[in-house]
Amino acid sequence: MVVALLSIAIGATILSGLVSIYYDVPRQMGAEFRNYGANVIFTASGDSFTVSDINDAAAIFDSGDIVGTAPFRYENVRINEKPIVAAGTDPEGVKKTSPYWRITGQWLEGSGELLVGANVADTFRLKEGDFIDVYYTPEGSQSADENGERVVVEDNIKSFTVVGILDTGGKEEDYVYMTLADIEELTQADKGRADIAELSVSLSADELADVVDKINAQVSTVHASLVKRVTASEATVLTKLQALVLLVTVVVLALTMICVATTMTAVVAERRKEIGLRKAIGASDTSIIKEFMGESMLLGLFGGILGSVLGFVFAQQVSINVFSSSISFRPLLVPVTVLISMAVTGLSSLMPIRSATYVDPALVLKGE
Amino acid sequence: MFLRMIRGTLFRQWKKMIMIAFTIALGASLASAMLSVMLDVGDKVNQELKTYGANIMVVPKEASVIGDLYELEGEENASAYLKEEDLGKIKTIFWAFNIVDFAPFTNVTGQTADGSEIDIVGSWYSHHMELPTGEQLDAGMESLRSWWELKEGSWLNEQTASQNDNGAMIGVTLAQRLGLGVGDTLHIKGKANELDFKIVGIYDAGGEEDQKLFTYLHNAQALSSLDGRINSIEVSAITTPDNELAELATKNGPSSLTVSQYEKWYCTAYASSICWQIQEAIPDCVASPVRQVADSEGAILEKTQLLMILITILSLIGAALGICNLVTATVMERSQEIGLMKAIGAQNGSISLLVLTEIFITAIIGGVAGFFAGFGFAQIIGHSVFGSAIEFRVMVVPIVAVLVVVVTLIGCIPAIRMLLGLRPTEVLHGK
Amino acid sequence: MSLLELKNVYKIYGELHALDDVNLKVEKGEWVSIMGPSGSGKSTMMNIIGCMDKPTKGEVLLDGVDISKQSKKNLTAIRRDKIGLIFQQFHLVNYLTAVENVMLAQYYHSIPDEKEALEALERVGLADRAKHLPSQLSGGEQQRVCVARALINYPEIILADEPTGNLDEANEEIVVDLFNKLHQDGTTLIVVTHDPEVAEVAQRKIVLRSGKITKVEENRNFTGKIRFDD
Repeated sequence: MVVALLSIAIGATILSGLVSIYYDVPRQMGAEFRNYGANVIFTASGDSFTVSDINDAAAIFDSGDIVGTAPFRYENVRINEKPIVAAGTDPEGVKKTSPYWRITGQWLEGSGELLVGANVADTFRLKEGDFIDVYYTPEGSQSADENGERVVVEDNIKSFTVVGILDTGGKEEDYVYMTLADIEELTQADKGRADIAELSVSLSADELADVVDKINAQVSTVHASLVKRVTASEATVLTKLQALVLLVTVVVLALTMICVATTMTAVVAERRKEIGLRKAIGASDTSIIKEFMGESMLLGLFGGILGSVLGFVFAQQVSINVFSSSISFRPLLVPVTVLISMAVTGLSSLMPIRSATYVDPALVLKGE
Repeated sequence: MFLRMIRGTLFRQWKKMIMIAFTIALGASLASAMLSVMLDVGDKVNQELKTYGANIMVVPKEASVIGDLYELEGEENASAYLKEEDLGKIKTIFWAFNIVDFAPFTNVTGQTADGSEIDIVGSWYSHHMELPTGEQLDAGMESLRSWWELKEGSWLNEQTASQNDNGAMIGVTLAQRLGLGVGDTLHIKGKANELDFKIVGIYDAGGEEDQKLFTYLHNAQALSSLDGRINSIEVSAITTPDNELAELATKNGPSSLTVSQYEKWYCTAYASSICWQIQEAIPDCVASPVRQVADSEGAILEKTQLLMILITILSLIGAALGICNLVTATVMERSQEIGLMKAIGAQNGSISLLVLTEIFITAIIGGVAGFFAGFGFAQIIGHSVFGSAIEFRVMVVPIVAVLVVVVTLIGCIPAIRMLLGLRPTEVLHGK
Repeated sequence: MSLLELKNVYKIYGELHALDDVNLKVEKGEWVSIMGPSGSGKSTMMNIIGCMDKPTKGEVLLDGVDISKQSKKNLTAIRRDKIGLIFQQFHLVNYLTAVENVMLAQYYHSIPDEKEALEALERVGLADRAKHLPSQLSGGEQQRVCVARALINYPEIILADEPTGNLDEANEEIVVDLFNKLHQDGTTLIVVTHDPEVAEVAQRKIVLRSGKITKVEENRNFTGKIRFDD
């Protein structure tokens, strides 16, 4: 009996554990895929848009789905008389949308700090802790006024401390990064303006496409688009991963069920003598089947309950070990596990019980 | 006599033995299927992650320093180019086998009839290469840009194109702006030459590439008289996730490593060591990992493998307990027979030997059958999930063998202990 | 010296005295039957004589060796060499043929010899059934296989526990005839039985009651044949 209960509980543990993992894989893996960075890009549908437009558009997503939002404003500036692209952004947002950025030194945090792309750092031989002046030539400085005289406008200058060197292997290495407030101070124009915003949202490609359409319809200033490279690839890989876990679950499950069935067969076969005895003292076949089935169903019930608990514990352990996040408890899984384990135990004992009732009680009792 | 007894159990008790063999086969097949899949899942997922595109970027040495900065000013850097003839060398490096795809890029600008300037990129699409190793490879954009959605027409293809084919693919945004469709011709005036491009495909890349025109390498080179010169190479390689050693090599340069560290680093497929080898192979180039792709691949790969390892452990435990259970149950069933043998003078040793031999013969039969069945299961998983076969790993054989032996033994021990403690009088009087 | 001698043997299970100061001598070649109702200590006595159990107190000398002082392993060896066992439920290994079941006893004793085993089966009149499995044999035939198995190693004593309990009259007679043959060959026979007819055949009948020997009857008209009362 203990043997049977144990094997049913193991079967149920595997069932509920793997199904929990199966349902949690897209969510957990989806979070891992956010390593690839932004999957939605906002651009201005008109000439320009502002940070508040971005926030309006981002509000259409469920706030829980958004991993991070990073607005960017690009300006041409000069460092040591060489033209460089400077980007103003929200450092906290970038940390979330571009987790793959590798910083030597410190992350950009406040005013007066500059994050320098690796290539720029190479060119100017900059290192962490250096001080540097950034020049910005306001618009119109090269033009002439209505009298045809050149208007000389002073360059805006701001001093920065290099806090870190940025290594991404991409074009970001050619830029310098500062906070949005700093770039506004440097340019002294277009307060609140942004050129582009990157969003990292943990939703599937289809769900994303729906929300993107909604944003394009509702927020006139913002044009949202999917980063195909990230969304399409994520969908491909995620589908395969889930299919993998599903198939593995099915295979493991099928095999465990057969194991439970063989164990039940063995357990019932051991009790042939008892069945013979019951028949000898006048029990009918149906009453024997009922009684034994009831017993095995009860085993299935206890095994199933035990298994659901152990399975949840197991899935939780896997989730914490693999994804360092906890798994949500699925109440529905408990009755399903219990029902399935009862059904499997019942079915697998039905056959041997039936065949045991065909036995001649006299023969069994004589010990043959 | 011993053999006759074994034969007796195996042939005349085959129903019981088959049940044990079957259970062991199930357990073994589960173990071998899961182990095969687990050992292969890294490679398989790595292949899948190639859909994210290149994870290594190769640019000329000078370009990497200030490359894009000049382009921002609308000038082209005249000096910094890689040579097209060096491309083949990429497949000669130590980790050549891990390089699954690569494509060269030549970026030029040209004027359309209405005078507007557009970016034109020359590249490979489905470039067939026969390598000296006998390996064949189709490399190019079609696989490197798997996320491109073809709106109309078809991909460019070197293998079907004629020598001086002037086919081109156009980004969806640019096509809309110029009002072009498949089959239309676009006249481009380059820096050196003029060419008529025939549009064969329109793609949606979901990014800035939608504003570009892609053509064969030789066309782009011809426009600016850049024969045999390329701006960059994108390489897609199967890499091992970075560890401390790789970090150390990246941070301080390979020369800072000790000889043994260097050898270990060089002979491991880290993104950084592959980059280093590419730099050795191609003169005057800088190869660097694309962090967005390389780092994420590492993270996802690790998680997937860890997940599979844990699931494998669970199923192994399940299989082990299942086998243990049944072996215990069936051995216990034989108490009467064992009691008799003891009564007619069998010593404990010979009884244990008999029971163990029988169970092990059964276990071996079940284990072998299960191993092959499990390998079959692994193939089903491989084909239905990844569309490719799961490799046969020799390593799985001893693991499954040890597992079956140990588990069967563990299953036997309580039963045999019980049988040995059994007193013949208890069973022989029909109690 | 007697072949078997029980001296003041006690077997005590808690409060219950299964054997209570039993003294018994069995000479070589003697045919003894032990009778008694259920719970009288027959089985206990048989287990002790059969080297399958040890007395709580007292000495059991078999061929001059005190088996109550032997280790379990030695007991197995003594049982193997000196005692042939026959059971009420036959206890044949059901996946071995008749001849293989006989050979099993040889195997544990020394080396199996199929020819000798076949001869033993011939002695019990089962030569033609040698290759059959127990399930293909009748109850009487199965018990005869047991007899063949018990005598194969030429034991000092054949110990039979209710040998005819599961048999009809015809088979009962066949088995008793076999015992008679064995007796004539000089084998010592101890037969535990419920059946007075079988008990009467023996040279000496011992009656056990509540662990004590209450009656010993010598059979003066010993013929070695069953005398049916009717």
